[in-house]
Amino acid sequence: MSTILSSAKGWPSILLARAGASKPADLDDAIKAGAFEALRRSVRELGPEGTIAEVKASGLRGRGGAGHLTAAKWQAAAETPAKERYVVANGYGADPATSTDRTLLETDPYAVIEGVAIAAFTIGAETGYISVRASATQAIKGLETAIEAATARNFIGEDALGSGRRVEIEVRPVQGAYMLGEETVLLKALDGKRGQPEQRPPHPATRGFHGAPTVVQNVQTLASVPWIIRHHAKAFGAIGFGAAPGTILVDVRGPERSGVAEVPMGTPLEAIVELGGRFAKGRSLKAVVVGGPTGGILPPSELKTPYTFDDLRSVGAHIGSGSVIAADDRACVVDVARLLTRFSADEACGKTIPCRIGVRRIAEIGERLTTGTSRAGDLDLLVDLSADVVGSALCDHERLATLPMLSGLRYFRDELDAHLLRGECPAGVCRPIRLGATA
Amino acid sequence: MSLLTGLVPGLGMVKGMALTLRRFFAPKATVMYPEMPADVATKFRGRLQLLYDEYGGLKCETCFQCAQACPIECIDMGGMDTKGRFHVHWGPPETYGERREESALRRSGRTVPDRAYEHFAPFDIETVDEILERFDHDPKRMLQILEDTQDTFGFLPVAALKRISERTGAWYATIYGTASYYGHLRFEPPSAKAQSKEVRARRATDQGYLDALGASLGGKSRGDA
Ligand SMILES: Cc1cc2nc3c(=O)[nH]c(=O)nc-3n(C[C@H](O)[C@H](O)[C@H](O)COP(=O)(O)O)c2cc1C
Ligand code: SF4
Ligand code: FES
Repeated sequence: MSTILSSAKGWPSILLARAGASKPADLDDAIKAGAFEALRRSVRELGPEGTIAEVKASGLRGRGGAGHLTAAKWQAAAETPAKERYVVANGYGADPATSTDRTLLETDPYAVIEGVAIAAFTIGAETGYISVRASATQAIKGLETAIEAATARNFIGEDALGSGRRVEIEVRPVQGAYMLGEETVLLKALDGKRGQPEQRPPHPATRGFHGAPTVVQNVQTLASVPWIIRHHAKAFGAIGFGAAPGTILVDVRGPERSGVAEVPMGTPLEAIVELGGRFAKGRSLKAVVVGGPTGGILPPSELKTPYTFDDLRSVGAHIGSGSVIAADDRACVVDVARLLTRFSADEACGKTIPCRIGVRRIAEIGERLTTGTSRAGDLDLLVDLSADVVGSALCDHERLATLPMLSGLRYFRDELDAHLLRGECPAGVCRPIRLGATA
Repeated sequence: MSLLTGLVPGLGMVKGMALTLRRFFAPKATVMYPEMPADVATKFRGRLQLLYDEYGGLKCETCFQCAQACPIECIDMGGMDTKGRFHVHWGPPETYGERREESALRRSGRTVPDRAYEHFAPFDIETVDEILERFDHDPKRMLQILEDTQDTFGFLPVAALKRISERTGAWYATIYGTASYYGHLRFEPPSAKAQSKEVRARRATDQGYLDALGASLGGKSRGDA
């Protein structure tokens, strides 16, 4: 289990409220903490419309990266005429360097189960899947125990809460590729198919699993829902940042500490980086990698940026996997960008040309920069090619995969030029670089 | 600099030799294709591969449909370089006629005389049937079926895939496509020395990424140099 970083005083605790509970999968403990109150209220008092209205009023946006409005997805799924509907909780956690979702599943399985049940009742689904990385064995065991206990008490099951409705929840371990985190790919995996994305629209909310309307939602998003219904939308809206209320889990890697923390949306990046501790004497912060393998590389001058979907996008990063990594002055930005892009290229599914070839060519530009073998026009090529990939991509993966190199270009031009024009690596990371630089 | 070069006799030559020497020890940029395969995406589908049927015969019926469908005309079944372009031969052209005959025989339900007959390694069909039973022969649970099959055999024997195809009704090509996408599924025993580069590369990505990330972000592994 990863460390949970203690966050600043006064920051609310929604997702990790039960962190530290000795037996997270114990139903009685969970009920004492308020579990399933929201489900009862949603089913008995609010009904589907009331529940959607409450979620809408809260302003909840998906925590899986893109930040879509949750209520809009539920509404679309509920309104699409269909014989069956599905809810899929995305707990895959594609980024191997973050464990936010896994931590949530381990500390509070009931919040996710309750969120899935509420979504299922609301959109009219009988089956909900919670997909988890197969290596997260502790989370899987906890979820299975919790689902069994909740079924035995009739919170879910054949006749859930005596409502006459069937709501079954199943844990589905998946593994084998980074791309499984993307929603259309995840649905393919659950369906036993090759994991390549589908064109959207139609969005899964109208045409997803087995062609039926499917709400795919990050586990943090779903775990926020019971809190919203228990404490009302207004209380949720008061936390965080106007356009993106609530809290979110971040995985911070700092000089002194690394771990998962819950932060209110809109917290300045600076305060998040501070959770990782201070740099040793003589070391200083050089860059922050925000968003995981496809994240942006931001300079200290952007540390005031509020941690929200829109603000991060406007500075060339994104929330992505929730990872925030502080790099000190020994890191070479070009090398980090190259590494991230190479990972994205290797993990791209190969379905379309921007995916199969575009990202690979961008990675090669990075590799040429770090080995002193750049060609004339490489930077123009980088900019052009990235624009083409963003413009023609099938899925978000290849669009986002352009961010590390582009943000490197945007904020660390000096360092890039040193590699490109003088064949030097100021940080002394890229070793063979001086080869091409003589004469 | 150039002034100095003019003044000190032989300095230019020394510089030249130094460059030669550095280049001599530099990593070579030439890729010795095909001895060294080019670095393409592990999931690159550019590989042209014909599948074999359960009798060990090629499934290609020489129908020319793939050649017609290929938008850049890189497949040429006839082996005739009609436009002076890159083309692909599916085996020696002399065998096309025979293969067509084979297909005709097979379609008419008679046994196909097969020279190149080579049976798949024997495998325990009952175990596969039990796994299929457990998942209700449901092609929608294909990943779990494949995972359990791999747990039993250590890898996915081709004959087992055929059996799964037969019993679930899913096309062999679809099953093969699924199995070849996921990094944790493999077609050779884990011990196989000749494990393909592709499989090894896939297996290493996550750990390789984490290690490299640690190293390039000023982590301990890089030292304080
Ligand atoms: C390459 C890629 C990887 C992704 N990985 C994840 C992931 O690990 N977990 C996740 O919840 N969403 C991931 N997403 C986002 C999902 O596609 C989807 O938007 C999300 O699960 C929807 O839930 P939300 O609205 O609650 O955010 C990924 C997207 C892409 C393009
Ligand atoms: S259709 Fe032809 S050109 Fe296109 S990927 Fe397939 S083999 Fe290559
Ligand atoms: S990763 Fe292949 S289409 Fe997006």
